[in-house]
Amino acid sequence: MLETAPEARSESRSATSSKRQVAFDLKGTMAPLTVLRLRATDVAIIERQLRVKIAQLPQLFVDAPVLLDLGALGDDAAALPFAELVQALKLCKLVPVAVSNVPDALRAAAVAAGLGVLQPQAAPRVPERAAAEPAAPEAEVAAPDATARPTARPAAHGGPVVVTQPVRSGQIVYAQNNDLVVLASVNAGAQVIADGHVHIYATLRGRAVAGAQGLLGARIFCQKLEAELVAISGAYIMPDEIPAERRGKPAQIYLENGECRIAGL
Amino acid sequence: MVKGRPAVSKVVVVTSGKGGVGKTTTSANVATGIAMSGKKTVAIDFDVGLRNLDLVMGCERRVVYDFVNVIRGEAKLNQALIRDKRIETLHVLPASQTRDKDALDPEGVGRIIGELRDMGFDYIICDSPAGIERGAQMAMFYADEAIVVTNPEVSSVRDSDRVLGLLAAKTSRAQAGAPPIHPHLLLTRYSPAMVKRGEMLSVADVLELLGIPLLGVIPESKAVLQSSNKGTPAILDETTDVAQAYLDVVYRFMGQEREHRFIEEERRGFFGRLFG
Repeated sequence: MLETAPEARSESRSATSSKRQVAFDLKGTMAPLTVLRLRATDVAIIERQLRVKIAQLPQLFVDAPVLLDLGALGDDAAALPFAELVQALKLCKLVPVAVSNVPDALRAAAVAAGLGVLQPQAAPRVPERAAAEPAAPEAEVAAPDATARPTARPAAHGGPVVVTQPVRSGQIVYAQNNDLVVLASVNAGAQVIADGHVHIYATLRGRAVAGAQGLLGARIFCQKLEAELVAISGAYIMPDEIPAERRGKPAQIYLENGECRIAGL
Repeated sequence: MVKGRPAVSKVVVVTSGKGGVGKTTTSANVATGIAMSGKKTVAIDFDVGLRNLDLVMGCERRVVYDFVNVIRGEAKLNQALIRDKRIETLHVLPASQTRDKDALDPEGVGRIIGELRDMGFDYIICDSPAGIERGAQMAMFYADEAIVVTNPEVSSVRDSDRVLGLLAAKTSRAQAGAPPIHPHLLLTRYSPAMVKRGEMLSVADVLELLGIPLLGVIPESKAVLQSSNKGTPAILDETTDVAQAYLDVVYRFMGQEREHRFIEEERRGFFGRLFG
């Protein structure tokens, strides 16, 4: 969002020089905006679930500007019918204004549907210390992406993000404002991140980060601990620091006095 | 063996991430084996700029036009296709030696694969280059099935894991939301003796790490090197264990049940068993 600011400023300057009277000010600003982070491309389903949500809190949604975030769709975004979606949102009395995390190939379609395009955001936020050596810089930035085909439910409901397939080397799964449940192994070179807890019902060989936004009570649970790194709210443990008696065993990782602790399960 | 136009051609990518694990050897042997069963088969060399498949398959002296020539419209597909001299149903589409992988684009590759389908090829085997960049992504893009070639060592397994992630995300099936590509694990250069001494990952170790079905195990053997140098795929000399292993792989790939071999050390003789 902020990246548009310099451009906006220069435009506003040219506007003032060409006309003496200032007709407007252009400002790059952060306005509160409802983000609709899409996890499916079927407009009928989106509309149905949206109507349920709106019925719960109607005053919050009437005439509300909405930003469409395609980040969670990964490669599935190509299947999204923009015009149809815009129409459906308008029927719900929402005002779709722009789209973010849109693949280059779909830009034109988004613009044609009357949407603005926000600059792509950086990869999912990872706590700085944990991100010091990203395993794969060009990783498929995969909130539950096409790769893992998780049965992910919308975050606002509070239900955890569930991943059923192995998370493979180079993949990142991020459960924003949510818990993450992985039913298969997290392989070496993979990263799983959650703002809440991380549950792995198999072997953790890659990196796991819980409480990525600072939730101190977040924990990591796994059935077999062989991690490359585990981190909670920025505190982390490297493989060499994992006691031998905990390695390869069911474990939980939690924060105590600002430090990561490992306990059995 | 006269047969009509097949309902669908199968596009198979042979891939690994890591180099030197036996992708080209596997492509040559699997393509040859499938063709031996009477299926019209083509092996495409996606390693543009390095061009090895034609050497391993012994047709390097007959390369006039190549894959990139066809993509660029400089030659017709049937001018570039080389028909194998030993097996009538086997064809090779060689890579270009002089271009690089940027010459490959999804539209061009898709067009050629479409033409091969129209020509009635039953199997289109795509020999991927090493790495996970453009060449490798082009080789896997249109695949229906994948043979993931892995050596029993950690770096190869890690790279295969990475490639499996790409197969699930960066292919035309993934982008169209079609059923995912079936990955098959082929463990090559396997030495049961080294596994026994704890010097090599076992089949079970690799299967646990990658979690995909095992297509076969190819034992470490000098026959592979010799056959590569001769330009005669090892599968053609049925006396070697490598040929036997690849034949098993081809049968399994085409849907037949075959017991896995070459996983355990060779059975010792009667006295060995008696006193072992």
